[in-house]
Amino acid sequence: MSNEYRSDCHVLVIGSGGAGIRAAVEASAFGGTIIVSKTISGKGGCTVMAEGGYNAVLRSADSITAHYEDTMKGGAFLNDPSLVEVLTREAPGRILDLFAWGAVFDLTCENEIAQRPFGGQQFPRTCYAGDHTGHELVMTLLERLRGSPVDIRDELTVIELLKEGNEIFGAITCDREGELGVITADAVVLATGGAGQVFDTTTNSAAGTGDGYALGYRAGAELIDMEQVQFHPTGAVYPYSTRGRLITEAVRGEGGVLRNANGERFMEKYDPARMELSTRDVVARAIVTEVLEGRGTDHGGVWLDVTHLSQELIETHLPVMLEQFLQFGVDIRIQPMEVAPTAHHFMGGLRITPEAHTTLPHLYACGEVTGGVHGGNRIGGNALADTQVFGRQAGISAGKMERTAKRNGAADQIFAAEEKIAKFYEGTAAPAKVRKAMKAVMWNNVGIFRNKLDLLTAEREIAKLQAMPLAISSPREIADAVVTENMLLVASLVIDGALLRRESRGAHTRIDIKTPWTSEISPFGHTFFSTGRAGIEIRGERL
Amino acid sequence: MKVRVSRLDPAADTFPHTEEYEVWVDEEAIVLNVLDAVHDTIDPTLGYRYCCRAGQCGSCAVRVNGEPVLACMEEIHDGDLIEPLELPRIRDLIADIAPMMAQVAWLNPGTAAAECGCNAGVTYETLGEIKPLRDCIECYSCISSCPAFAASEYAGPTNMRQEQRLNLDPRDMGDRIDEAICKGLFACTTCHKCVEVCPKGIEIPKKAVEKLRAAAAKRGLSLPVHRALAKLIEETGRSIEQTETPFLERVPEVVEPEGDIRATVSFFAGCMFNGRVIQPALDAIEVLRKNGIRVIIPKDQVCCGSPLIRTGLLEFVPELQKRNIDAFLRAGADTVLTMCAGCGATLKNDYSTPFHVADITEFLAAIGFIPPKKVTGVYTYHDPCHLLRGQGICKQPRELLQSVAETFVDMPARCCGAGGGVKSGRPEEAATIGAVRAEMVKKTGADCIVTICPFCEFHLHQVTGLPVKNIATLMLEGYQK
Repeated sequence: MSNEYRSDCHVLVIGSGGAGIRAAVEASAFGGTIIVSKTISGKGGCTVMAEGGYNAVLRSADSITAHYEDTMKGGAFLNDPSLVEVLTREAPGRILDLFAWGAVFDLTCENEIAQRPFGGQQFPRTCYAGDHTGHELVMTLLERLRGSPVDIRDELTVIELLKEGNEIFGAITCDREGELGVITADAVVLATGGAGQVFDTTTNSAAGTGDGYALGYRAGAELIDMEQVQFHPTGAVYPYSTRGRLITEAVRGEGGVLRNANGERFMEKYDPARMELSTRDVVARAIVTEVLEGRGTDHGGVWLDVTHLSQELIETHLPVMLEQFLQFGVDIRIQPMEVAPTAHHFMGGLRITPEAHTTLPHLYACGEVTGGVHGGNRIGGNALADTQVFGRQAGISAGKMERTAKRNGAADQIFAAEEKIAKFYEGTAAPAKVRKAMKAVMWNNVGIFRNKLDLLTAEREIAKLQAMPLAISSPREIADAVVTENMLLVASLVIDGALLRRESRGAHTRIDIKTPWTSEISPFGHTFFSTGRAGIEIRGERL
Repeated sequence: MKVRVSRLDPAADTFPHTEEYEVWVDEEAIVLNVLDAVHDTIDPTLGYRYCCRAGQCGSCAVRVNGEPVLACMEEIHDGDLIEPLELPRIRDLIADIAPMMAQVAWLNPGTAAAECGCNAGVTYETLGEIKPLRDCIECYSCISSCPAFAASEYAGPTNMRQEQRLNLDPRDMGDRIDEAICKGLFACTTCHKCVEVCPKGIEIPKKAVEKLRAAAAKRGLSLPVHRALAKLIEETGRSIEQTETPFLERVPEVVEPEGDIRATVSFFAGCMFNGRVIQPALDAIEVLRKNGIRVIIPKDQVCCGSPLIRTGLLEFVPELQKRNIDAFLRAGADTVLTMCAGCGATLKNDYSTPFHVADITEFLAAIGFIPPKKVTGVYTYHDPCHLLRGQGICKQPRELLQSVAETFVDMPARCCGAGGGVKSGRPEEAATIGAVRAEMVKKTGADCIVTICPFCEFHLHQVTGLPVKNIATLMLEGYQK
């Protein structure tokens, strides 16, 4: 590899959503920072798509303790308490940073940051910018990034982390044309987001392929709770080309009601106290139950209705929803929306400390690629807060890393990568076809209601797909093939976790197992995965 | 479904070529479904961008049949042609947007702001002003289709949007007026093409360009030629120096129609038709007469103020608005006809009038005009931006033209370069934009251009050398046969 494709820096950030940009901006205060994005910075992650809001305690009537309790309870007490403590304590400070950097959040008439109710919260603490809060957050961060000395490398896919012994010291990259490159660094931050794309129907952007889980796993880092996949209760179902697209929780936050095909407000049966503003796992299961029991719409969904709200409120608080539905001929001011659950958020991921350190030296992680913050179910509005709180932590921790990187190593790993790529040219299976098959297997067997039989079927099918030699015909397809491998690896970890967790907990529901305990007193802790080692923690002991 | 996709591999091709693909997609499929189908089932090397699939990230803008759209939001139809944005091209449908992204300004919070944690003077009202400028998803559709960007050093519409967004924000410490001027603030022709193609419908000319120009004017930074024009308007009430007997002095206060009175309208002449290209206005009055329309022409009407509003020199605008509204109220107007696209757009969009304003073509088409005899020749129609996008009128002029032209060849709309003070302030740029338009005219094979805007008329004649006629003139020729 020529020097043209070699770079060196103090901190390398992989991923350019809310967490990645925040980490890069913070790290750049300590030394040369490079951010790589397999898409275009700010456009790739799911942050830009986030609609509803950002949870932060800003009023004296609210409290950090209440936010902590809501997060733990919503997370089925699978959360890592030390991470939740950091999240809830720092969320207010981080939103005030954003505000100082120019964020255009909605304000109250008294010029204070406005907040609205979201599911599973004792206090309306979700800050927002209409129903495009994530977009606002990313635009603010992008301005900050452009004003920083960070070196931005767009459309560059990381295909492997570089390591010596256990220490991470950079990454092998592949550009749009298929040229390999190397970036060495004293510290690496993974901020690659989730993996909703392993499922057929998802809210995630096309970049939500879980590369960070695979990169970290292959490098030897430990992952936890990979079975905990949140299915957002309200995704679009029709027309087909829009299926899975997020219908924000803000619709219910603003007063939207759910009805089945018979017109019944069915949440009365599942959570009469919280109704539509119950946690996402509960609402998603309720919708699927209605559909399975024959009370669904023709397209296999239920109705989400805001027609009783004022037109002005819909236009000002839910403009993106209004516009997206109008595009397909549905005026939500006078017609209900058709919705069904859609794969949304991975609560599991790389195990981190409150300082955002993974289990490998020199490797940090933040945002959806990490596990433990949200336990078994993330409450709405906590993801954006997560990106900023832990994005900053990861950037600072990585920035403080001493300058020790190996600058000349990596020959073996580059050779191995080149050999792997050479094999793709002799492969037989088109990556696009393999992905399609994988998505169907995962959607049909590893969805909201799980049982051992289906999970074993999925395990077998994914293993079969993993055994198929992926095929490419030009260097431009290398990244596509590597990402497909990553997705298959992530899919297998989700299945492993689902088999290991012999209880219903959070977003993970095993209908073949009776769970005799409540989440709070469950004997189980995290599921965990690292090369050659997987299991489930029994509370009170660390395996 | 069959679609055509423009392909270019710079490593192998010198010129782009168009490939036709047949793919299977669901009903109501979007452009992206088709691109995915080509990529996944026919050619995995097809280069295209996409990400959120929900119209929020701005990655996937391409042109479909020439017009920028988001591939993830636009329905696709059999036979559509998919091309990249009109920007430097990397390959296939991938445009090089990095240089555009690097130009977008960022908020400078100063040094102390991050620590203060207070609202830094930001209020509910300020944010209300900023919000309409904040929806941008940086898809660069606006830059791709901006005639001024293509013809000059202008940084493009979204950059003006961002400058004004920062200019409005009390948290920003930068000087956005100087910066906007450096980025070509006076290059925008206010053609509103950027609004038409914007997936979020951001009104950049009105809410950013004109506002920034007004802020520049307050600091005395307007172009000298624009300042001179403003002075002329303040002194004479007109933007044109009088060289011959103006239209208003050649016509009576009330023009009675031939035959029965079908309707009564008031007539707003505008500076160009009053003082520079007078004959088309006289022709228009004749056309109205022949259609049984009684015309009232208040003599104390003045410049509509458009040249001032477009260039940001707003001081005298309220006075002009008052004088015009008073003049037409005194004349008892309930419908005021304009025949200058710029005046019409200004009266409709920048005034709050107690009477109805209609373009002459809009009015004639609605009331039902007497069909003229055909006039020989090959005619094409140039959409004035301030009629097409300023007033949403495109069908009516064509209806009129088709009734009178022996042969009519249509042509897609594109700014000629005359508007927004560009013709007077930056004549070379106006000529460059005009040259592109001239090529389009040439392709139609027309030997005469028809339009409704005196600025377009004047400028198009200069850049094409062809005769340019007002629709009224041509109709009158038909009536007189």
